[in-house]
Amino acid sequence: MAFSRRHFLLTSAAAGLASACAGSREQMQSARGPIADRTLAEVLERALVAAKRAGASYADARLVRRRNENVATREDHVVTVASGESYGIGVRVVAKGAWGFSAASKVDGAVAEAVAQRAVEIALTNAKLQKRPVELAPVPTYRASWATPTKVDPFTVPLADRAAMLLSIWPEAKAVAGVKFCSAWCEALGEWKLFASSEGSLIEQSIVRLGAGYQVTASDAATGDFVTRESELPPRQTGWEYIASAPLRADARRIAEDAVAKLRAPSVVPGKRNLVLTPSNLWLTIHESVGHPTELDRALGYEANFAGTSFATPDKLGKLKYAAPHVTLYADKTVPGGLATCGYDDDGVKTQKWDLVKDGLFVGYQTTRDQAGWIGEKASRGTSYAEDYASIPFQRMPNVSLAPGAKAGVGLAEVIAATDDGILVSGNGSWSIDHQRYNFQFGGQTFHEIKGGKVTGPLRDVAYQSNSVEFWNSCDMLGDEKSWELHGSLHDGKGEPSQTNAVSHGCPPARFSQVNILNTRGGSKS
Amino acid sequence: MSTTLQMRDVESTLETLLDLSKKYAHGAEASAHVHGWHSANTRYARNEITSSGDTESMQIRLELAFGKRRAESSTNQTDAASLRALVERTAAMAHLAPEDPELMAVLGPQTYAPAPVLFDDATNAFGAAGRLTAIEGSVAAAEGRSLDGAGFYEHWSSLHMRGTSAGLRAKRSETYAELTATARTKDGTGSGWGGAASHKADEIVGSAIGRTAAEKGATSKGPRRLEPGKYTVILEPAAVSELLQSLFWSLDARKADEGRSYFTKAGGGTRVGETLFPKSITLTSDPADPLAPGAVFDDDGVPLAPTAWIDQGTLKNLRYSRYWAAKQGKAATGFHDTLRLHGGDAKSPADLLTGVKRGLLITRFWYTRWLDPRAMLITGLTRDGVFLVENGAIVGPVNNFRFNESPANMLKNIDAMTAATVRTPGEGGHWHVPTIRTNDFNLASISDAV
Repeated sequence: MAFSRRHFLLTSAAAGLASACAGSREQMQSARGPIADRTLAEVLERALVAAKRAGASYADARLVRRRNENVATREDHVVTVASGESYGIGVRVVAKGAWGFSAASKVDGAVAEAVAQRAVEIALTNAKLQKRPVELAPVPTYRASWATPTKVDPFTVPLADRAAMLLSIWPEAKAVAGVKFCSAWCEALGEWKLFASSEGSLIEQSIVRLGAGYQVTASDAATGDFVTRESELPPRQTGWEYIASAPLRADARRIAEDAVAKLRAPSVVPGKRNLVLTPSNLWLTIHESVGHPTELDRALGYEANFAGTSFATPDKLGKLKYAAPHVTLYADKTVPGGLATCGYDDDGVKTQKWDLVKDGLFVGYQTTRDQAGWIGEKASRGTSYAEDYASIPFQRMPNVSLAPGAKAGVGLAEVIAATDDGILVSGNGSWSIDHQRYNFQFGGQTFHEIKGGKVTGPLRDVAYQSNSVEFWNSCDMLGDEKSWELHGSLHDGKGEPSQTNAVSHGCPPARFSQVNILNTRGGSKS
Repeated sequence: MSTTLQMRDVESTLETLLDLSKKYAHGAEASAHVHGWHSANTRYARNEITSSGDTESMQIRLELAFGKRRAESSTNQTDAASLRALVERTAAMAHLAPEDPELMAVLGPQTYAPAPVLFDDATNAFGAAGRLTAIEGSVAAAEGRSLDGAGFYEHWSSLHMRGTSAGLRAKRSETYAELTATARTKDGTGSGWGGAASHKADEIVGSAIGRTAAEKGATSKGPRRLEPGKYTVILEPAAVSELLQSLFWSLDARKADEGRSYFTKAGGGTRVGETLFPKSITLTSDPADPLAPGAVFDDDGVPLAPTAWIDQGTLKNLRYSRYWAAKQGKAATGFHDTLRLHGGDAKSPADLLTGVKRGLLITRFWYTRWLDPRAMLITGLTRDGVFLVENGAIVGPVNNFRFNESPANMLKNIDAMTAATVRTPGEGGHWHVPTIRTNDFNLASISDAV
């Protein structure tokens, strides 16, 4: 919703900077803060000068404003109407070859200088335990802006309208006998940032992310048994027009029927089965078994104390048969609507698209400026990101996607028709993967038996468990470009302290041969 | 750098916000929460520091209700204009919000038990140099065994204050320090972990934590392959805490009453009063517990009284929100942040090996996720040291596993626990658990991860 804002920038010289950044005036206007200086760029410049004066060989400074608005409902009533915002400055430096960082929520020139000095002090302290000096891959300087293309700013949509949309789901869901509960939500996230580096870049970006969904619970009063079924609308970087035109209400009865059908479905018999995965399920498997393993910091041990390391170590680059020969998986921070899409990363590197697995072979990593040299690359892939002003930028996952199959005319129906015996999985259920990304176990929202090329009925209690490389090498069928869908998550965690990143994954429906199916109530049969 | 934040700043911000609410949100019930903090951290990997930083901020959260219409909003800007904007924004949102029939009136003045002292001045004054010293000790331990050390030192000072238009005022202050360390063999076949948490930074000894991680890392090198199956397992405290998270979450009365929980009684109602676990199992939350002290009020301002969830094997209490308590005619328990699984008779973790014909010693778990809330079934993986135990002695390292198991079964099948409990990292350092021995633990498949 639209709120009254102070217009401190409109009359300042910052309006000049804003007008230099096409379409950014409104974002600049809403970047509130008690500011004593004439422009935001000047604040950043004072931080950079102070850092250099204190001994930094490199410095960057970011002003970041984040907003979120959430509405949640339960059956016929609203349970949450909430908004939040944070604003501040974060300064990152390299001094004596070590990183240092400091941040403050008050934004003015004096604070910016103090923060910069603190960052340098921290770097100088830590330099004592720095064995390899930080080396940054070169990057061109940019004076540029980038913004999510939107038609309707979600923050201008009245919260009552958003609540009404969510409340319209329950009457549809409860019309299905056996449905007992329904919770629904929608979330809007706004991120505005102004980045300046001691190398001369000045980059303004404004990003809007949206998500909405619901969960229906069906139960059996006689047995006390219950199951849930979640909707599958992908979150996107987009305007409100995306949610407004989404079939949330239209799908509610079908989702509710799915829940009841799952409740009454036979429990799966464990064993090796062919798997047909829809894009709404496969995206998360890509995220966990390809996205995280190809993060270079993980592969080299920099996340060892938390998320773990990776089986995809640099010695396997160009050698490891990661997937079947017709499988290509790529990183892309430019795909329209992608949650990790932007113009420039938080190192000030222009974003790009590149292969991670090409024709089945492991060929690429996700890198940042300080990592590129670790594997002999001359330039960063542009994957640095910090959650907010107070977070330290580090390597975060770009959108990582599975390329569609080359054969046209293959969609989900054709994949099912070509499958004599298998299980169809749609949506995301429980997921878990080990700390080197070998062993994973994923559930789903709906499961159906496939016999003789036809879906014969629902199943329940299904999880598939495999090893990442075995799994991707077992891929024997891909849908075409028309069947390719972009799904994703608004909240992917990494790092210590943990930071959230939003990321999308595109894929067609795909089939995997003889994967271990578990019954989540009764264990496995290998 | 110690924080420049003072409780008086937090208090004055809260009072200003409530005053502004009275002025610009006429007739609203207001509930304000101000949280000021200073946090700092240093990360290291491959035996060198990789990042380090600090920040100081205040989060100001306001909830306003007009009748049954309610909204909440937050900011980190503390100037008067920003606070007024927060009030106006929240009021506008509340006016537009549909009615919430579950909305409860804000609390008035409450009586709280005396709060344990959780604020340590030395920790408040801690800084990059102190973190470096601890990390140098941890790295030296890793390098001494030719291992690659990675870890994270984080500490913070935190000042909370809560107030309502009905007169509630509650405040607390706390410091916290935590160091966790991982040590991996150069050949990538061994990995160990150690960690400690306290509200006092001087209790975080980097060299000791590093030695624990290094010892585990070195001795877990070159694991032998062991088939999955049901094993007697000795779970170290970090592993116990990880599994108890799911159980603690399940102690929700509403979920049980609505038929969505392990603690739902067949045919309706809850299983409170049933003896579900062995007599040795007692699980409590008590803010004044000297071993696991914590907050005396929750986020809503509800006083947190000492509560036995499980007393000598019998389910005694479930967690009640204010709304669900009123609806069910019960007392609200509030949301505790402390938890203690009371220990047993074993004098040391080594004593738990005695009598084990064939079992496993497990350091910790990773990536636990729900499979079935009704059965309280979860999946996850072992990590950073699994050792085969035969005839009462550790034989050597084995591969990691994925487990599919219920924390309730873990408690049911306990046959021995250490008397001593330890504070585990995570959960704000408010959880105390023993090392346990439990039987028939379902390790479902092998994980090749190290």
